[in-house]
Amino acid sequence: MIELQGISKTVPSGDASLTIVHPLDLRIDAGRVVAITGPSGSGKSTLLGLIAGLDAPSTGRVVIDGTDITALSEDALARFRGARIGFVFQFFHLLPSLTAWENVRVPLEIAGVSGASARADALLDEVGLSPRRHHYPSQLSGGEQQRVAIARALANDPPILLADEPTGNLDSATGRQVIDRLIDVNRRRGTTVVLVTHDAELAALAEVTVALRDGRIVSETAVSRAATS
Amino acid sequence: MTFVIRMALREIRASWRRLLFFFVCVAVGVGAIVALRSIIQSMRTGLAHEARALVGADVAILTSRAWTPEVRRDLDARLADAPILARQELIETPTMVRPETGQGAAIAKMVELLAVQPAYPFYGRIVLQDGRPYSYDLLRDHGVLVRPELLAQLGVRAGDTLVIAGRPFTIRGVISQEPGRRVGAFSFGSRVIVGYDDFQATGLLSFGSRASYQILLRVRDDGVTPLVTTLRREFRDRFVGVRSYKSTEDQIGDDLMRAENYLSLVGFVILILGGIGVWSVTRVFVRQKIRSVAILKCVGATTAQVLSAYVVQVVFLGLAGSALGVALAKLAIVFLPAAVAVALGGVRYGLTASAVWQGVGVGVLVSLLFSLVPLLEVRRVRPLLLLRGGTGAAAADVLPSWWTAAGIAARLARIDWLQAGAAVFMSLALVAVAGWQASSLRAGLIVCGGFAAVTVVLHLASSGIVWAVRPAARARSFSLRHAVLSLGRPGNQTRVILLAVGLGSFFVIGVRAMQTNLLRQLTLELSGSGADMFLIEILPPQVDAMRAFLTPRKAPDAPDPRLVPVLRARVTGVRGRTVNLSSYEDVRARGSLAREYTITYRSELEPNEKVIAGRFWTGEPPLAENAQPAEVSIEKSLHVRFHIDVGDTVRFDIVGRPFEATVTSVREVQWSDARNGGFMFVFRPGPFARAPQTWIGIVKAPDDPTARGRLQRDLVERFPNVSVIDIREILMTVQRALDNVSLAISVVGGVAFFSGVLILIGAVAMTKFQRVYEAAILRTLGASTRMLGAMLAFEYAGLGLLAGVIGAAGALALTWAVTRQVLDIPWYPAPWTAAVGAAATTVLVAAVGVGASYDVLRRKPLATLRAE
Repeated sequence: MIELQGISKTVPSGDASLTIVHPLDLRIDAGRVVAITGPSGSGKSTLLGLIAGLDAPSTGRVVIDGTDITALSEDALARFRGARIGFVFQFFHLLPSLTAWENVRVPLEIAGVSGASARADALLDEVGLSPRRHHYPSQLSGGEQQRVAIARALANDPPILLADEPTGNLDSATGRQVIDRLIDVNRRRGTTVVLVTHDAELAALAEVTVALRDGRIVSETAVSRAATS
Repeated sequence: MTFVIRMALREIRASWRRLLFFFVCVAVGVGAIVALRSIIQSMRTGLAHEARALVGADVAILTSRAWTPEVRRDLDARLADAPILARQELIETPTMVRPETGQGAAIAKMVELLAVQPAYPFYGRIVLQDGRPYSYDLLRDHGVLVRPELLAQLGVRAGDTLVIAGRPFTIRGVISQEPGRRVGAFSFGSRVIVGYDDFQATGLLSFGSRASYQILLRVRDDGVTPLVTTLRREFRDRFVGVRSYKSTEDQIGDDLMRAENYLSLVGFVILILGGIGVWSVTRVFVRQKIRSVAILKCVGATTAQVLSAYVVQVVFLGLAGSALGVALAKLAIVFLPAAVAVALGGVRYGLTASAVWQGVGVGVLVSLLFSLVPLLEVRRVRPLLLLRGGTGAAAADVLPSWWTAAGIAARLARIDWLQAGAAVFMSLALVAVAGWQASSLRAGLIVCGGFAAVTVVLHLASSGIVWAVRPAARARSFSLRHAVLSLGRPGNQTRVILLAVGLGSFFVIGVRAMQTNLLRQLTLELSGSGADMFLIEILPPQVDAMRAFLTPRKAPDAPDPRLVPVLRARVTGVRGRTVNLSSYEDVRARGSLAREYTITYRSELEPNEKVIAGRFWTGEPPLAENAQPAEVSIEKSLHVRFHIDVGDTVRFDIVGRPFEATVTSVREVQWSDARNGGFMFVFRPGPFARAPQTWIGIVKAPDDPTARGRLQRDLVERFPNVSVIDIREILMTVQRALDNVSLAISVVGGVAFFSGVLILIGAVAMTKFQRVYEAAILRTLGASTRMLGAMLAFEYAGLGLLAGVIGAAGALALTWAVTRQVLDIPWYPAPWTAAVGAAATTVLVAAVGVGASYDVLRRKPLATLRAE
């Protein structure tokens, strides 16, 4: 379970300061698919970054499964992310100097997990990229790169998967495949999936939609999975 | 750990082309260290074995004046107690030889004559060119052995007859190798060996002649050190020197050790240049890797893991670069020109293990030290930037002006103290490594301090230039405008390029300018109506005849030949107001005051002298022959260095006789015009009229070589005891030596410059990713290849010009300091050398810059923009 308690983010802007996220509370139950939506500049990605511990909040706490991650050091956070959180980016962010297979292996190696090779094979197989495992990111299409990124995010079998505009750089058909893949992960593994999108159609696939505007939650709607699928 | 190593290997696999430059930088430096150290170490090993041959004995007793019966008696008494196994004597002296007949009969040459006894040599051997074994029989009955160059100079062959001291000697063999000839030792002429008794019979040596008399001993090994100690203690004050093969071994060892350390320091300087390249590569590399670092951190890697991966990578690259450096050193030694090898002592050269280990060690250390500071940037990378899609470069906030308290505080707050600490650690470690290489912490400090000073100057200069060319940012030419903007762009390589190329050009221009200065000084000595031939060992009864002989034969418009009496003297004591040296022991404690001085007496000042204290005896009659004390005028430097003053009494030993003189004046000699004579001690005439003395003749000989040859030949025929020093020949020898030295320094400077160019190429290649993008945008906006090319050319030519000008200015400062402060000769700014150097640097940097950016100009914009 992810709990945001009175979380806010303010950054200095010249002599003044700018609040990107106003103090807010949010609770995301384990095993849910949650979409954070809102127009550009509404604070979606900042909120996701705070959940992942990629950024420190100005006020409030982020508690994940009982751990207050705002109290962790940078390295403890890195280890926490390695074990508990998978992240998928809009710009894929694969390591350009590594092959698809090596990219998937990296989190396993960092965690010092044994059997990394077999696991990387299985994950690439799962996202349908086994034949392209020795290709470099520059040799893959956008959709393929994003699927490698998903495989990488799942490497350590994290209970939470965060995705920042995962389809933002893809055409709609490929984007749909990627979303299907994420929902599939949720169904098969029970992984909590939090995705940021400004695409209403994609958001509709989630069980819960949190709408942001100017750094404030304007609505939080639960949709029954049965109705959407 | 496996992650760290795997990541390091993957990064090398992916970026080896970019990092190629990293290890080339290391390789050049390591190569220089290993090659220089190996050569010297090989020499040391080779020569230390020959220490006995160099001395020619276990113990050698030497003096520069003929053995007096008293000294000989005391010596014999001492030697009788020592475990002497064998004893022989020899005499070495410069003298003139000429062929008796034939085409070369018109020439006379100065040689270094060695008169030996049958037992010669105790150690080492004389090797004859035709392979016959040497035996003393070859010298019996007026036989002589000569060097091949003398045969060529005189146009004679084995079997011909040479005239030495008016006596005929038959050439019985040609020496290809002789024991005891030191590498690179200066000599007045080539070696000629004759029999001791035949030489004595010529009567060439008179009392006071310039010669070295030696007694060579073979001594039981345990007796060497006690004998040397005893002899040194008892005969020191009688101007007798003692050398043993052990002391020579030590001295050669010390000399070569010093040479090795200093040359290694030169290699280290080159490696530091490489290190600057490493620093610049790492800095840009890290900047390019920021996103990868953020991704790694995002998927769970700690800062320590990421940092370790890059450090391991640096160690790999440092090792690979060092290995390449060792290979380069091996190649350099294999291809060491045979001529150079012979000049360096003709020993076998190879890589030595200790040189290789030191080189590799220093290579890896320098790689680590120089990459540490830029690598620490990795710590500051936050995974958050992945959400923003930026490059992660710190936003360039507008800070308050630096002189305000808020500005200072803001800047202090920005300092990464760990990085600053690492920079301090790196500097200290570099001083330590330099100190280790030079085996002297002081030398290490000086080198690193010099580097720091040059870096600061170049840093200020580059800031200055960026500021100074700012108005050009409003120039009408688009290319010029953008070139100026590029110099000051964020993350520019202006400083790195200036430092690398500036230092390189400083080396090269400095060496050239120094050479120009020295040669010019020597040529000045020759030009005009100055004397160019010195005659030595003229005996007093020959003076008038010599004057009569020289006057009609001198160069047509030259002044009359001058004949000056000279005696050799040592200072054995000073009694004065501020200085009191009661014994020769005290004098020796004053260093060079104890050396042997050549003194003269005359009644007037020379044109190049002026009295700065006391009164010279111009116009006063000579003193009585037995006047005690006599009067002496000293040169200013004796007054400055040893505080001898007017009114003080100086005690001399003049060819064995004690002699006292009162200082009546202090003269300043214009040494740059020293052909008029430069004497530290000039005596008032009188007391020396009958003392054993020789005269020297100073004359300007005709320019025509035939006439010069004839003059020398006639002179030797008429005055067999007189030796001629032809300054023109000496000058040519000096020039050849100078050419060799400057060639050697130029090679080292060339390597330094080459590293500078490498760093330049690397710096260009490193910033290319930025330029390619800019070029793509400019192209989309309509810029032509020509325009882009002009932009690059302006930018790099500007950098080159600045680096060249700074290098040239540094070189001028160096030559000024060396000529004025060290050599005390007039300074010649060598404007052409400096100008050509600066221009060549400009052209080279522009060419390299544009050439290395070739694909920036060639690449299609769309591909670039899409990739971004």
